[in-house]
Amino acid sequence: MSAAVPVGDSNFKTEVLDSELPVLVDFWAPWCGPCRMVAPVVDEIAQQYSGKLKVVKVNTDENPQVASQYGIRSIPTLMVFKSGSKVDMVVGAVPKTTLATTLEKHIDIK
Amino acid sequence: MRRPTPKSLEALRKFAQTDAKRTDTVFCADTGVTAAVIVGLAIHKDELGAPLCPCRHYEDKRAEVAAAYWNCPCVPMRERKACHCLLFLPPEHPFAGTGREIAEEEITQLLE
Repeated sequence: MSAAVPVGDSNFKTEVLDSELPVLVDFWAPWCGPCRMVAPVVDEIAQQYSGKLKVVKVNTDENPQVASQYGIRSIPTLMVFKSGSKVDMVVGAVPKTTLATTLEKHIDIK
Repeated sequence: MRRPTPKSLEALRKFAQTDAKRTDTVFCADTGVTAAVIVGLAIHKDELGAPLCPCRHYEDKRAEVAAAYWNCPCVPMRERKACHCLLFLPPEHPFAGTGREIAEEEITQLLE
């Protein structure tokens, strides 16, 4: 029953940058249409890689600081963080396979 | 939850339908996407005076409205029919539907 957990300006460091597991961050906004297509895909990914990947979401309207810090422009933007650094990024609504291919470069899938 | 005025919502719904016809584009196969974008545009119209794209993050929304680049229809849409918000899609786009019309009820149901 894992789904993407909301994080924001106040806890981005502890939840994402300090995470021991790699983290997928879904930057979204409330009335962004393609964000609605990506959200269920991100939730499925959270389930599929449970224990190997942490999955969180950031509402960019409510958390402008972290959105600006990572240069978010087009949304949805999905970013992968590992040991506190951004290691990959996917922009726009993508099929689950595309996202899985990107993620498998960065996580231990044994 | 922020809500658009009925007046802006209707104006943007009509604009979307007219512009899809005019540009030979279609709405997304998932009209929930279309409805959400129309709501987002209408909220920006109410709050900022222009239908700024709801699928971007901005440092300063008022400055962006003044710059006009991302006011719908944005420059990429006008120049090459590129709408990353998936409101207007070329018929061959993988997410394209077939329609260019959306009922008021389909949009208002998102706000309930």
